[in-house]
Amino acid sequence: MPKKFNGLVKGACITLAFLLSTCGVFAQKTTVSGKIINKADNQPVPGATVQVKGTKILTQTAVDGTFSIELRKDRGTLVISDVGFERVEIPVTANTSAGDISLTSTTTTLNDVVVTGYSSQRKKDITGSVSVVNVANMKSLPSGSTESLLQGQAAGVTVVNTGAPGGASNIRIRGITSTGSTDPLVIIDGTPGALHDLNVNDIQSIQVLKDAGAAAIYGVRGSNGVIIVTTKRGKPGKAQITYDGYYGTQRPLSKGYQLANPTETANAIWQEYINDGLSPSHKQYGSGATPVIPDYITPFGTKEGGPNTDPSTYALYTNQITKANKGGTDWFHEIFKPAAIQSHNISASGGGDKSSYFFSFNYLDQEGTLIYTKLKRYSTRINTSFSLLDDHLRVGENAYVVYKNNPGYLNLAGVNNANSINASYREPGIIPVYDIRGNFAGTGSQSLGNSPQPVAIQTRQANNTSNVWQVSGNVFAETDFLKHFTARTSIGGQVDYFYNNSFVYTAYENAENAQNPNSYIENYGWNSSMIWTNTLKYQNTFAARHNLTVLVGSEYINNSGRAVGAARGNYYITNPANLTVDPNLWTLNFGSPAGQTNANINSNNGTATPYQLAVYSLFGRVDYNFDDKYLLSGTIRRDGSSVFDPAKRYGYFPSVTGGWRLSREAFLQDVAWLNDLKIRGGWGKLGSISNINPTNAFTLFTSSANQSFYDINGTGSNPVQGLITAQYGNPITSWEQDIITNIGFDATFLKNKFDVSIEWYKKAISGLIFQPYTPGTVGGAAVPFANSGNISNKGIDMALTYHGAVHNDLKFDITGTFTSYDNKVVSLPPGRQYINVGTTGNSSVYSRLKPGTAVGSFFGYQVLGLFQDRADVTKSATQDGAAPGRFKYADVNHDGKITDSDRTFFGNPNPKFTAGLNIAVSYKNFDFFMFLYASVGNDVLNMVRTSTDFPQQFDAAMSRNVALNSARLVNAAGQPTNVNDPTARVANPGTKVPMLERIANFSNATAFNSYFKENGSFLRCKTMTLGYTFTSESLKRLHFDKFRVYVQATNLFTVTKYTGLDPELPGSNTLFGLDGGAYPNNQKNYNIGVNLSLH
Amino acid sequence: MKRIQLKFIIPACLALSAIILYACNKNLNKQPQGSLSLSNVATRTGVNGLLIGAYAVLDGENVPGAGLAYGSAGSNWVYGSIAADDSYKGSTPTDQPDATQVESWSLSQAATAYVQEKWSIVFNGIQRANDVIRTLRLAKDIPAADTPVIVAEARFLRGFYHFEGKKVWNNFPYADESISFQNNNLNLPNDKDIWQSINADFRYAMNNLPATQTNIGRANKWAAAAFLAKAYMFQHKYDSARTLLTQLITTGTTASGLPYKLVNYESNFNAPQKNGPESVFACQMSVNDGSSTANDGGNGNMGDVLNYPNGPGAPGGCCGFNNPSWNLANAYKTDVNGLPLLDTWNAGAVVSDSANIYTGNLDPRVDWNIGRPGIPYLDYGPHSANWIRDPPSNGKFNPKKNVYAKAQAGTASSTATVFWGATQITSNNYNFIRFSDILLWAAECEVEVGTLDQAQAYVDTVRGRAADPAGWVYKNSEYDATKGQYKVQTTPADKYVIKKYPPGAFTANGADYARKAIRFERRLELAMEGHRFFDLQRWDNGTGYMADILNNYVTVEKTRNSFYYIVNTAVFTKGINEYFAIPQGEIDAENSTGKVYLKQNPGYR
Repeated sequence: MPKKFNGLVKGACITLAFLLSTCGVFAQKTTVSGKIINKADNQPVPGATVQVKGTKILTQTAVDGTFSIELRKDRGTLVISDVGFERVEIPVTANTSAGDISLTSTTTTLNDVVVTGYSSQRKKDITGSVSVVNVANMKSLPSGSTESLLQGQAAGVTVVNTGAPGGASNIRIRGITSTGSTDPLVIIDGTPGALHDLNVNDIQSIQVLKDAGAAAIYGVRGSNGVIIVTTKRGKPGKAQITYDGYYGTQRPLSKGYQLANPTETANAIWQEYINDGLSPSHKQYGSGATPVIPDYITPFGTKEGGPNTDPSTYALYTNQITKANKGGTDWFHEIFKPAAIQSHNISASGGGDKSSYFFSFNYLDQEGTLIYTKLKRYSTRINTSFSLLDDHLRVGENAYVVYKNNPGYLNLAGVNNANSINASYREPGIIPVYDIRGNFAGTGSQSLGNSPQPVAIQTRQANNTSNVWQVSGNVFAETDFLKHFTARTSIGGQVDYFYNNSFVYTAYENAENAQNPNSYIENYGWNSSMIWTNTLKYQNTFAARHNLTVLVGSEYINNSGRAVGAARGNYYITNPANLTVDPNLWTLNFGSPAGQTNANINSNNGTATPYQLAVYSLFGRVDYNFDDKYLLSGTIRRDGSSVFDPAKRYGYFPSVTGGWRLSREAFLQDVAWLNDLKIRGGWGKLGSISNINPTNAFTLFTSSANQSFYDINGTGSNPVQGLITAQYGNPITSWEQDIITNIGFDATFLKNKFDVSIEWYKKAISGLIFQPYTPGTVGGAAVPFANSGNISNKGIDMALTYHGAVHNDLKFDITGTFTSYDNKVVSLPPGRQYINVGTTGNSSVYSRLKPGTAVGSFFGYQVLGLFQDRADVTKSATQDGAAPGRFKYADVNHDGKITDSDRTFFGNPNPKFTAGLNIAVSYKNFDFFMFLYASVGNDVLNMVRTSTDFPQQFDAAMSRNVALNSARLVNAAGQPTNVNDPTARVANPGTKVPMLERIANFSNATAFNSYFKENGSFLRCKTMTLGYTFTSESLKRLHFDKFRVYVQATNLFTVTKYTGLDPELPGSNTLFGLDGGAYPNNQKNYNIGVNLSLH
Repeated sequence: MKRIQLKFIIPACLALSAIILYACNKNLNKQPQGSLSLSNVATRTGVNGLLIGAYAVLDGENVPGAGLAYGSAGSNWVYGSIAADDSYKGSTPTDQPDATQVESWSLSQAATAYVQEKWSIVFNGIQRANDVIRTLRLAKDIPAADTPVIVAEARFLRGFYHFEGKKVWNNFPYADESISFQNNNLNLPNDKDIWQSINADFRYAMNNLPATQTNIGRANKWAAAAFLAKAYMFQHKYDSARTLLTQLITTGTTASGLPYKLVNYESNFNAPQKNGPESVFACQMSVNDGSSTANDGGNGNMGDVLNYPNGPGAPGGCCGFNNPSWNLANAYKTDVNGLPLLDTWNAGAVVSDSANIYTGNLDPRVDWNIGRPGIPYLDYGPHSANWIRDPPSNGKFNPKKNVYAKAQAGTASSTATVFWGATQITSNNYNFIRFSDILLWAAECEVEVGTLDQAQAYVDTVRGRAADPAGWVYKNSEYDATKGQYKVQTTPADKYVIKKYPPGAFTANGADYARKAIRFERRLELAMEGHRFFDLQRWDNGTGYMADILNNYVTVEKTRNSFYYIVNTAVFTKGINEYFAIPQGEIDAENSTGKVYLKQNPGYR
């Protein structure tokens, strides 16, 4: 490597020498000289353009800001311009000095130095695709999940959020780049980390590296894009203490699921029987001509005064007396209640000229609107730096410690495939929350479905915990030597340790498994990642105009983790009336060892444990810029990763980018309205290993008590250890590669009031790593990940900012972002025509990867409408279960029969574009901010309807629309009839809802079809904030630098045609946009807050 | 300063780089943790472990990713019982809609999860067996003399799993040990009849396995012979089957060396008495063994977890599935001579019906096969009418053979709770073949070779056991869960009258009568054990016999509160429904290259 480096420098020097020799020297006649200074600090401005107006004569200022230019006549006007400053025109006379000319800096951020891959650059020098996030705008939303705040703030970044406290978001930088994880790499102060639990108040800046030019230096980890976060550091000067806090209330959606009331439900159940030509009969509603709503649901179908309704006969299992709730229980609003949110943040910072410090503490407490959900997080940060040896050596550290308790609401063990949200649309309304004794009522009352009880699910989770302790950060040392060299070393990493526990109570009120003994589960584990980075940087400017930066480095990453879980059951019941157990007894020791389990579990990032993986990399970067006009940059990285077989281990990831600042060319100097214009483009290659199991290359065998043990001795309780093949190895799997081409321009115009950045990109992913969909003949072992197929994304990112001021008191800033991507599967492994994507197992296919279609596209039968009558059935393609009032599917292949080959693509969950609009207005001491976000053109699957619209499933709750507006059958005479009547026809031809039935078949409930598809486009007012800043002299005397109060409302309105709760639906990367009872993210939240700063 | 930097810092940096380069490259070799590699497993211990692993999917459970897999239950209650005339799916009409499709012989069932689960588990077993053979060849510490026994046991299991596939789908591919992920030959066509391969596996096993095994749960020579005989029965090779069955009856023993014989009827379905002399080959179930994890039942009888009464205080706790049919209950009617009503059993009064109740004689086996209202349900007291989950479609009965006694709760039943349905998981074995099976196959063979008296003798042996009053259900009596019998045997629970056929009855009435009697006896004896559908399939042999039986069944059941009352359009189509649909997912997977490897069975779409 050193040899290579020397070669590089030599090459650069020769190039430079050539460039230098081409620079002519002007003759000295009728010259004008002067010096350009920055009005703000009176410092010289080097590199500013000085041009004689109306001519092509121009020059640049030297390092000390001086210039001299030939007028070629006695008088003239000089036009002085520089990026980041207002343009100045000044009349001059030949052979004089123009003296000091001061430039006023504009509001543009082009001179800002932003941190990019392993280095920092002035924003104006960037040739790759980098979105700089406006951190102030981003922070204006209250959230316990920092990555969710990126939504709409950076062009090219699509973020889909959930309403669950602390819930994870889907982030996609420039489309779907993988069938596995598309999580971008997050670098916090040079160390890989996670945005999720980062204290947003600690953030100084965020840059998103979107293309290969910007991200290729991260090589193997960069393919999903890179988010560079820099946290705050102390500044020299007086110490400053800030406090930022808010308190607010989150309001549940007023709408909820639109479900039928008990009378409507009972009538609809009767209609199910009648439509199928059967005599209605139901444990609760009797068997008469019309259903009778009982007074009691336990004893079932009983009237007041009936047998066993005397409270003295109450018994938990055999007679849990429960009154019918004839008005209907609103389960959604029984589990969604107003909830508080608060955040308090204190920071202290400062420093002398040899050291600086930043310290912060944050407390975030968010109750979920879903009862008993919460996120409680405590975090602290200490960043310090010290400067030694006359500033030639700098050392420092960044340390972040966070603890959180964030129990989820999903996947409650032992409960029938339901979380409380989907239970809330399955639990019939006739069931009250409590029985006559105040115990939970439920579907144990017979013939009311099998849903677990939503309030009971949540209440029983109240004491569950999910704790994470995380320490992250790094220590670094940096030294300058030989004038132009800087060497830096940094060792950092992250350790997170998790512990969660949960108790599963005996859910006596349920229809199913009401007698399950209680049990207790406890899980522990840790993940560790270590990174050691060394860089050497050479930076020099030759002949004032040739700027060269060369960086070389090496990096070693080592990750590992391990996790275990254990469970015991049959805990001593401390309250026999309701079968609860005092949480003080929740220890493993207190449970029965019979039936206990303990095993390795997946770590909390989902990786099978134990695991270890390592990456070793070498990288280099060259940035050259001539006269701020021509910019050229190249990077290369060589990564080696332990996840591949040694023969396939190493990958090279190069990139080249270039930029041309046209606005510095003479021919554009006269264009007064244009302040800056840069065209840039780049090409590069990135890699990914985020979707591969670290042991992928190995064929492995394992032993597990439930999968491979067998009681070969017939003991009934003491099986013998067995072995099974756990996975097949694939030694030829190698890097997933992304090739990104990017072309764009950045412009600032109209007196620096407008900033525009528009980019077009193409991102081609090849050798996509995923587990192929293998025939069942493979057996039970896991199939290795393989390089299978290619995907491409094309799109346009746009960002537009307008800085305006009506007059000194009224100013406004508007920033819009626009993100679009067009995703296509390009190819699959040789011979493969498609790969199915389902929810569970192989049979529920919702999506299919197929060349030419977008990843995630919905795949199933296309509903043409409902069969209207027998004649319609006869003239249509043959279809299993075809009958009037049922779905008619499209005969896609026109073979006259509906078969599996008639399944087709009928929807795309990828938005056509997403857009964010930030509007900030300030008037005197008032400030106002509004953020709008839109997602347009995305389809969603409202899978809630599988339950609410097909009530033949368990007599569960049904939607009011279905109860009242489903297809009705009449005979030739117009009288109601059943499906077996040959003259039956649909009486209400306009309805899209199939008739109510007792049974499910291919033509109603059992085939996945387009009935579930809806338009998921939405426009949302994410936040609106009104603030007031106090500026009285007395506050200043009290050392207040800032004292601002604000009120804020989030999600004030959402415009959408979606009929479910919220069309914003996270998912996996191959299957998303599915609403199966998602936690809505559009709940209103009202906050009041304060920002204080003291010195 | 500068001098120091030149002389010291730069060389130091270079040296450091070199160290890093070396150290880090070396650190890229990360060995998998918590797993064994082939070199660990290619040993005697490893191969033995793989063999145990190949047994471990006999219960049909633990399909990776499938969770609660009823469609693959080892007992085949879905395909064998509810798709035939033994029982209804149960619960509400569309609880487990996949089962509804199976029971109503839906032509679009290819897309359902059940057939996929069965397919996955069968190949899971096949490949586990193949892994034994593949790995054995690499092991260096196994003497050549020992390898045939190990291969025989693996081939027994391979034959067993293929047999399952063959019964369910008929057009089922065969995967020997050359079929593997590594060999990239997984797209197996189903265009050949694989009986020869199945026979060969069982024959090899029979010829190489010992008669007794150190572990009672292992297949022995006789288990292999019994499966080979069963395969011959399915191939209608009665001569070959008869030879084997005769040997089995005269000299066959269990793996522990017990000569085969009939035992107390209920003892076959009682966990403490498992692996008795009647158990030819069983799936060994165990509970409370540390194996249960969320959403799969560990090593217990997870496949039958739904098949319990449902309602206030019902045994087990859930879920009201696999309700015996009216048709089956009526089959237990006996005439004054204690013989079954071979033609008229389903006419007239109905067993346990409230409106038109049958009050005549009954075969005592009715109350071990069917939980009937008012009849003692093991030690839970009389079966309550409220234990029926959905009376309009479930009828009146509950399954019983897989249910544990109340006294066994916590010992024969699981106390683990981190998965769904724990209180219905048992350590009750499922007998794939029990000795009465063998006797009744032998009887069929004797009819085909014309020795009707011998056929009758076998049938009468089976009836004789049923006629033993010690093994009946009694009222006002305590149930002894350790023996599978009632303690006080004074008041039989119903009017039980059962007798052997009069001497010479088969010969006197001819082969057709004998066949009918044997088939009827099989139904009575082996009801609710997942065999009925496959028996009908075997007897059908292209004649339409099966379609006639099942369509007649539906016609009558439609008029009763039953599954077919609700799903009244169900029709069994001759030439299609004798076999089930190949899973759509498998067709999609194997044929995704565009070339058709796996063909759907006739009539399915």
